[in-house]
Amino acid sequence: MKKRIIKKIDTSKRNFLTGSVTLAGVAAATSVLPISIAKANHEDADPKGLPDFIKWKNRDALIVHSKKGIETHRSAIGESLITPNRNIYIRNNMPTMSDTQIGDRNNWKVSIKGVKNPKTFSLAQLKKLGHTTMATILQCSGNGRGFFAHEVRGSQWKTGAAACVVWTGVPMKVVVDACGGVDSDAVFMTSAGVDHEPTGLDPKKAKVERSVPKKVYKDAMLAWEMNGVPLPNAHGGPLRMVTPGYFGINNVKHLGLVAFTKTESTVKYMKSSYRISPIGKKGSQYPSCWEMSVKSWITRPTDETGTVKAGNVQIVGVAMGGTKKVRSVKVSIDGGQSWKKAKFVGPDLGKYAWRQFVFEANLAPGSYNLASKASAGGKTQPELRYENRRGYAHNGWKDHSVNIKAV
Amino acid sequence: MKIFKIFIVVLLFSFSLTINLKADSEKMVLGLEVFNNKAMCGTCHVLKAAGSTGDIGPDLDSLKPSEEQVKGVVTEGLGVMPAFGEEGLLTSEEIDAVSYYVTHSSEK
Repeated sequence: MKKRIIKKIDTSKRNFLTGSVTLAGVAAATSVLPISIAKANHEDADPKGLPDFIKWKNRDALIVHSKKGIETHRSAIGESLITPNRNIYIRNNMPTMSDTQIGDRNNWKVSIKGVKNPKTFSLAQLKKLGHTTMATILQCSGNGRGFFAHEVRGSQWKTGAAACVVWTGVPMKVVVDACGGVDSDAVFMTSAGVDHEPTGLDPKKAKVERSVPKKVYKDAMLAWEMNGVPLPNAHGGPLRMVTPGYFGINNVKHLGLVAFTKTESTVKYMKSSYRISPIGKKGSQYPSCWEMSVKSWITRPTDETGTVKAGNVQIVGVAMGGTKKVRSVKVSIDGGQSWKKAKFVGPDLGKYAWRQFVFEANLAPGSYNLASKASAGGKTQPELRYENRRGYAHNGWKDHSVNIKAV
Repeated sequence: MKIFKIFIVVLLFSFSLTINLKADSEKMVLGLEVFNNKAMCGTCHVLKAAGSTGDIGPDLDSLKPSEEQVKGVVTEGLGVMPAFGEEGLLTSEEIDAVSYYVTHSSEK
């Protein structure tokens, strides 16, 4: 009897193994089944390292959320206004175009439409047409998403999907003037990249085409240089639209078209993505991620930099006004109960750049919550985030505060 | 008698386990079919188990999404990714299967 039972148990064990083998068989089968997939543009990436297209970046400065979502550490944003290229975040919707796909950079073409005399310019022609340099903030619409309490899809950015960049290129206004001016019935400036083309995907879904209010063209530029070097492919080289004061997505990479249009683009990236909608709702009736709002955050000390020595502490950070000039920034060392004005330091690079600020505090040993709150154009950062489905446009000061210890 | 009861329990357990494993392996097969053919997930995603090397969306071996995460994004879409559920491109059974497949195939 005992023997038979053992045999039965053994049988059941064999069944279990059979089941396991079946599962393993499926897994094995997957590697030999025929598949029809695009293999173009694939580069192996060490998940703990950096993808091939940005191997030149500073790994220590970066947090890798995914191959196309790479964040700058809070303490690596730089304390000299301009964020070094090697430390700047990456957020790309389409694969970065390769040198081969781009070809002769001077021969890169951009078409201008919705103007009196539509034209196509090569990069070489644009360089002859005009020249300007401007500092702006590049900030992903989802910067701060990592602070939202509901489960938001997408990279969990905290503060590091932002950078202050000096661009060099041609003013959009000069380009428009060379085309005889904007069509009188245009309402939007619509910019389109061409980085979807090598993927072969449906342009309605994959083309990064963004419409912004027409007025933006007056301050916009077509940039071919970034912080003193030719615009890297990973940041949209050889030519990128720069829409000062507007979220990163509107600064279209690998630019192929600028059109002045009566209506907004109907591609997915305009119509349904990047819409600030209530949690649980979505649709093109909600506001698009356009103008950035007033915002600031402390970059030293932070929980990344660890504890500080008690005594005099320099609290350093950045403050921005979005489309308005940042007027002031206040710092709190007691979680927002009391605020004192911080001092702006360094050159003022214009209303579209951020200002570096410093506040000297004398900290006795203990725990502190440090916060900063900027004001611009009559508006001050709110305490709390504006809850929204995709975790966009966070500028609440409370979530951006840091907890430190003075010892 | 006690031993006999244990035998019955073990037998029933192994029987249900076998059924479950059969169901799970069928889910894996359907999930793979959806991944590679019906939804063409490999066009945009890396998943070594499926031999896919797409470079548009996240690398699923690195991301290691949970079943719930896959289900949500496959249903509602994200960025360039179609809303396979809301647009009626996949049935709920197919979404369940591909979510199960991706979660159990991404490199651990």
